[in-house]
Amino acid sequence: MDRRTAIQNLALVIGGAVLLPHCSKSNPTAHFKHFDITYDQQTLITDIAETIIPKTNTPGATDLNLYGFVMKMVDECTKKEDQQAFMKGLGEFDSIPKKMFNKTFAECSKKEREDVLKSFEKKDNGYSKDLTAFYQGVRGLTVWGYTESKYFMTKEIVYELVPGRYNAWYPVKNGKAVAKNA
Amino acid sequence: MSTNTYDAIVIGSGISGGWAAKELTQKGLKTIMLERGRNIEHVKDYVNANKAPWEFPHRGGRTVQMEKDYPVLKRDYPLNETNLDYWVNEKESPYVEIKRFDWFRGYHVGGRSLMWGRQSYRWHDTDFEANLKDGIGVDWPIRYKDLEPWYSYVEGFAGISGNRDGVPILPDGNFMPPMEMNCVEKDVADRFNKFYKEHNRHMIIGRTANITKPLPGRTNCQYRNKCWLGCPFGAYFSTQSSTLPAAVATGNLTVRPWSIVTKILYDKDTKKAKGVEVLDAETNKTYEFYAKIIFVNASTLNSAWVLMNSATDIWPDGLGSSSGELGHNLMDHHLGVGAGGVVEGFEDKYYFGRRANGIYIPRFRNLNGEKRDYIRGFGYQGGGGREEWGRSIPEMSIGGAFKDALSEPGQWTFGMGGFGETLPYHENRAYLDKDKKDKWGLPVLAIDATCKDNELKMRIDMANDAKEMLEAAGVKHVQTFNSEPVLGRGIHEMGTARMGRDPKTSVLNEWNQVWDAKNVFVTDGAAMASTACQNPSLTYMAMTARAANHAVEELKKGNI
Repeated sequence: MDRRTAIQNLALVIGGAVLLPHCSKSNPTAHFKHFDITYDQQTLITDIAETIIPKTNTPGATDLNLYGFVMKMVDECTKKEDQQAFMKGLGEFDSIPKKMFNKTFAECSKKEREDVLKSFEKKDNGYSKDLTAFYQGVRGLTVWGYTESKYFMTKEIVYELVPGRYNAWYPVKNGKAVAKNA
Repeated sequence: MSTNTYDAIVIGSGISGGWAAKELTQKGLKTIMLERGRNIEHVKDYVNANKAPWEFPHRGGRTVQMEKDYPVLKRDYPLNETNLDYWVNEKESPYVEIKRFDWFRGYHVGGRSLMWGRQSYRWHDTDFEANLKDGIGVDWPIRYKDLEPWYSYVEGFAGISGNRDGVPILPDGNFMPPMEMNCVEKDVADRFNKFYKEHNRHMIIGRTANITKPLPGRTNCQYRNKCWLGCPFGAYFSTQSSTLPAAVATGNLTVRPWSIVTKILYDKDTKKAKGVEVLDAETNKTYEFYAKIIFVNASTLNSAWVLMNSATDIWPDGLGSSSGELGHNLMDHHLGVGAGGVVEGFEDKYYFGRRANGIYIPRFRNLNGEKRDYIRGFGYQGGGGREEWGRSIPEMSIGGAFKDALSEPGQWTFGMGGFGETLPYHENRAYLDKDKKDKWGLPVLAIDATCKDNELKMRIDMANDAKEMLEAAGVKHVQTFNSEPVLGRGIHEMGTARMGRDPKTSVLNEWNQVWDAKNVFVTDGAAMASTACQNPSLTYMAMTARAANHAVEELKKGNI
């Protein structure tokens, strides 16, 4: 599914013609209900999500438009003070690759991007609360969006509701979970 | 005969109202069922029932706006985007909390029968005798033998799946084949039942109002675990799937949505009710409906509200208040306490399907001569499952390998939470707050109720026993939880118009008739004189069918 289709599908789900605010080079600022996002910020969050859930031989965050889900949740399901922390952390984020590699995140290689994100796992990284809140927010929502994407739920695990049945013993095949209980 | 005259009026369309309508219409009474909210048509109006998780814009979560709009509902699991329309608009229908009381309501045809938990357990004589033995509240005017045939009757029609376990404290019923425990639950239950063989403790599969065989017009459970969105298969008991079609089929039923019953019209000459006054929730127009008998099934607190608003020229505190007990003895089940842990092994095993049911451990405390530092007891509901993608992998938080690991099954866990009996305290009550009005200018309820010493002491056992038993059954790393006990949170409101043997101390007699107006029957949770610890709805069903049968007999005899 390309991003355009994904967004259209999402809009259909919302039940109206509401398209998620989206930037392009000719449209540098996206107006969400509670904040604005610049093209560079959109790129940064998209790149972070893609580093967390990269495209391999299966789709990644960009293919699945997880950026759209992350921003929808931050816009509509996040309290004002947490949104403010998110935006502040977003603003501070490029200080990390700057310090580590003297580059912006956009300029970093795949490996460098991974190193930047892995630095959040170190306890004594000295990152501000806002920065940590921003990254953990993006990571949590990206993983959530991925594991409840149509792709994941139908292709990575089994999504089969009808005809229904309950098998109390079921072998684990190829190391995969059978179905999420949702 | 005016067009507003019927043989019977049923106020409310939830679990007990649906049963009242079915029984009365099948016995030939022209009946009108008055529902304060909108209609929800079976299948057609279950708008989210066939949606996949990824089709919900917030994946089933809650928005900041929803939290603003539903300050009560947000306190627990009900607030989410998948079935928001089934819950009451709190701005239109406020209430006053003298003490915190979580009141989760459903104002629509079917009421909370659409969203209920479906666990269905009979009571035992221990439960009916408890008040008498303990000298608490009033003695139940009925015993198990009075309800037993009615339990069998309603189980057969509603469709309750369960195993005949032979547990003395939890009578077996007229069951459909039970659902199955998954492999880990079977293992844990085997060890549990062996370990506690001499101690009368049992871990059994839950008994649930999900059918495991088809019934007329209903398909057996498909294991989708989406019950509370409304079931397109009619696989769980609800008014819509079960009692309403039966009542409609008689040709004797009229359903009127948007009908807020504001009062029961009492005739002081005949000492009976002659009908009800209805405020149309859409047009604000007032109507009167007349009937020979009235069933009050508005759900516990709203049934009390209707009575309190009625016949105030004779009894200032309302119809049924002559005992001084109307609105009092409000109860619930207290919960949010239990334990959970990890089950080792079974890495090559999984289960298939989404079973909307779990295990049950019937009450075992304060039985067979045991005396704890509290009275009554509690049961547990829970189950085992395998964690899925959500598990955290500390050394691997991003990247391709992490992505792949997300689809691998995680560890097996097993957990359970207690449902504890709450005692009837006179001071736990609801009353009309005449200063505050709802959207229709009607007075709202003020609720003043809290857990007390007996419940708090019980909770210590509820946490510790859960841990001890899970450990005995081989569950590892067991942790207890014991959240703030809040009434209402069990969504098992009971009391406020209790049954009893004496009109001086109770609101209803042994047939659920209001002592002060014998043709008014209250057969929902309001009638309860105690709560036991079993989920109550099955008992409401049995009580309603019994009372309806009595009402029609009395009508035939000319007694009411």
